Amino acid sequence: MDIEVDNLTQVWGGANGVCALDRFTHSFASNRFACILGPSGCGKSTLIQIIGGIESATSGEVRITDPADKERRRQPLGGCSLMMWQNLNLFPWRNVIDNVAFGLEMEGLSRAVRYARAKELLASVGLPKFENHYVHQLSGGMRQRVALARALIMQRPVLLMDEPFAALDAQTKIVMQEELARIFEQTRKTILFVTHAIDEAILLGDEVIVMTARPGRIKEVIPVNLPRPRSQELVNSPEFGRLYEHALRLIREEVLNAMRQQEAVDD
Amino acid sequence: MIDSTSARRWKQVHRLHGLLPLLPIVLFLGFWEFMVQVRGLAPIYLPAPSSIARYLFEMIADGSLAYHLGITFLRIMAGFVMAAVAGVFLGLMMGMSPLLARMVDPWIAALYPLPKISLIPLLIIWLGTGEAYKIVISAVTAFFPIVISTFAGIRQVDRGLIKAAKDLGATRRQIQLKVMLPAATPSIFAGLQLGMGVTIILVVAAEMIGGSGQGGMGYLLIHAGQIMETEKVFAGLLTLAVFGAVITKVQARIDRWIAPWISESH
Ligand SMILES: Nc1ncnc2c1ncn2[C@@H]1O[C@H](COP(=O)(O)OP(=O)(O)OP(=O)(O)O)[C@@H](O)[C@H]1O
Ligand SMILES: [Mg+2]
Repeated sequence: MDIEVDNLTQVWGGANGVCALDRFTHSFASNRFACILGPSGCGKSTLIQIIGGIESATSGEVRITDPADKERRRQPLGGCSLMMWQNLNLFPWRNVIDNVAFGLEMEGLSRAVRYARAKELLASVGLPKFENHYVHQLSGGMRQRVALARALIMQRPVLLMDEPFAALDAQTKIVMQEELARIFEQTRKTILFVTHAIDEAILLGDEVIVMTARPGRIKEVIPVNLPRPRSQELVNSPEFGRLYEHALRLIREEVLNAMRQQEAVDD
Repeated sequence: MIDSTSARRWKQVHRLHGLLPLLPIVLFLGFWEFMVQVRGLAPIYLPAPSSIARYLFEMIADGSLAYHLGITFLRIMAGFVMAAVAGVFLGLMMGMSPLLARMVDPWIAALYPLPKISLIPLLIIWLGTGEAYKIVISAVTAFFPIVISTFAGIRQVDRGLIKAAKDLGATRRQIQLKVMLPAATPSIFAGLQLGMGVTIILVVAAEMIGGSGQGGMGYLLIHAGQIMETEKVFAGLLTLAVFGAVITKVQARIDRWIAPWISESH
């Protein structure tokens, strides 16, 4: 799915509210992996929630179209995407398999069909033996996998991911990144991936979109032309180093801007 | 050699550990019995534990305890079920319809702090001193904590979970049934427990006030008190204490069974 974001502006809380996005404009190409990098509070979650049809924008437009569709009909927002949330939002009263099968249950599929599909998904994210556990009985990495399976089971062409690996330890994070890269290479979804980690953004993305401090705008789009399939070893390549340096310089400026803003508010 | 004896010691200590809570009770009863026997206190003020026990066994043997307790239990259940059905229903409706919540809220705010026991004279005028009055007063009292907890439970559902469900394709109705309701269950159960507590209080109080010859633990207590059968009063109190403890335990069980994701996470 091609996602065109056109002059998207979001002001939270009325006329004198917080401006979270300011005329954000970008075309996300179909079947590509875009990483969105930016200082805390710059509007990253806001952006992907609007694209996902979960929040509605103050002004501006999001157009999602299927490149295979000759007539370029607009897809309804929310209908072709799924969100993996910053805090996962798993249902604590449901066990693993019923969490994963939630979307299918809403569609009215029978239990047998739901469970069969959910089991496949759980196996594919490497969590086959925990279907009857509740969320609080799982480790952080396992919860992440459940949330990923719950999103993937819907087979929507667009996957929106809001810092899904931020809370993981370094080792688990590497495993999950490789898992996600594999899933992307197999399913070729269009993925928008929000992150704070520069190395993660370069390792996973076809492009890295660096945002400014609030109100969020695009500071720079960095294309990442590293070959796929990618692995952690890339981190040591000179090309990776160059991209990292560049992104770091941009993001440092914006984080400093964000801190200055914060000080201005505090005074 | 030394090791095995010390291990045995430890085992004995552990076995004693389980009995430890009984020790203060035994000491207390022994002291009580001793004081009454030795100091010769009049049984109408403070009967000895042994004679209370004798009364208790007599009441069990002649079936009068079961009779009164049974009547009280049925009244509690009738009042509680009425309050639970009405309270949970209204709480859910309020939680899911802000319009209804706005209309009902002033009534609850005004009526909740009113001590329900002060309604007894009015209810006796309207309903007489029969079953209806006892059940209604307890139901009315239990209704408020139940409706308030249910409403709060629905209102406090994590917005993120609702958005996630919507994103996964849930309709409004599905969100209500499959997200809001289960998310509010612990809160609803907390309300039901509070409701059960006040139902017990109000039924026993209403039995004490509500005329003669109708049975129930409250009637048994007040009647025994009037004819100075202090042993019977103590026996009744002991029964009510055990009864309350059993109900609390049963509720905790049900709670853990209904909402295992809460109790196991602590
Ligand atoms: N539902 C909302 N209502 C009001 N204000 C909001 C809402 N969501 C976000 N905001 C505000 O909009 C701004 C951007 O928030 P957003 O969550 O999009 O930032 P973010 O880039 O995702 O930050 P982080 O990296 O910390 O997750 C913040 O100032 C936040 O307080
Ligand atoms: Mg965010």
